[in-house]
Amino acid sequence: MVVTRVLVAPRELVWAAWTDPKHITHWWGPVGFSTTTSAYDLRAGGIWRFVMHGPDGRDYQNRITFDEIVRPERIVYHHDGADDVEPVQFRTTVTFEDLGGKTRLTMRALFPSAAARDRVIKVYGADEGMVQTLSRLADYLAEPLATSLAQRTD
Amino acid sequence: MSTDRLSATFAALADPTRRAILAQLALGDASVSKLAEPFEMSLPAISKHLKVLERAGLITRGREAQWRPCRLDTKALQGVDDWLEDYRRLWEERFDRLEIYLQELQAEDRKRGRKK
Repeated sequence: MVVTRVLVAPRELVWAAWTDPKHITHWWGPVGFSTTTSAYDLRAGGIWRFVMHGPDGRDYQNRITFDEIVRPERIVYHHDGADDVEPVQFRTTVTFEDLGGKTRLTMRALFPSAAARDRVIKVYGADEGMVQTLSRLADYLAEPLATSLAQRTD
Repeated sequence: MSTDRLSATFAALADPTRRAILAQLALGDASVSKLAEPFEMSLPAISKHLKVLERAGLITRGREAQWRPCRLDTKALQGVDDWLEDYRRLWEERFDRLEIYLQELQAEDRKRGRKK
């Protein structure tokens, strides 16, 4: 799954909005939610721990582990923990592309899970490019399959 | 669908063999040995995959003693499809809010710049 947007702001500022908890709370959401961050360790293996306060008064504990940080171009992370609004199994890559005063921000959620991809590397000795192709294929497969199956129930 | 349930479904789907089995079952019910044909895998190995799919609610097994045909249960996949749509919307809205917030930040900066 890919979601992309060109933002009218320099890349440094977009990066800051992503990597400073005092900024994140203004936009992370979802609608009606506020966010309180208790730990934010921006490095590979570092953890971002936060609580999302729902409009119904319920709190949702979240824990994100950063897998890769390339300042100011790329953040790779995955969710872990049980009480998530966003379930596990996805590895998310966010890229910040400098367009000269503007920034193209792209979020890619890769399916299947990182564990499955690692297994592919181990078992087949596939290189990273090949793994990405497989992941894209898997991502592509999931939705049309679901759609064709939905039609079958009618 | 609860996130626990959804995580179980995603875990079951995060395997190419199991996705291939589901694709085969989309064409119609099939026996274990029929499903094993395209893979270089033992029947017990295929059975193990089928158990994962069954626990995740993605397939059901017939009760006929010998044949026990596998059948696709579309509800769990429909849940995945719905969730993907919600997840995409969450990110679109997140980017909407970020866009507005960045405009506010820059407007403040400009205001402060003029005061200096």
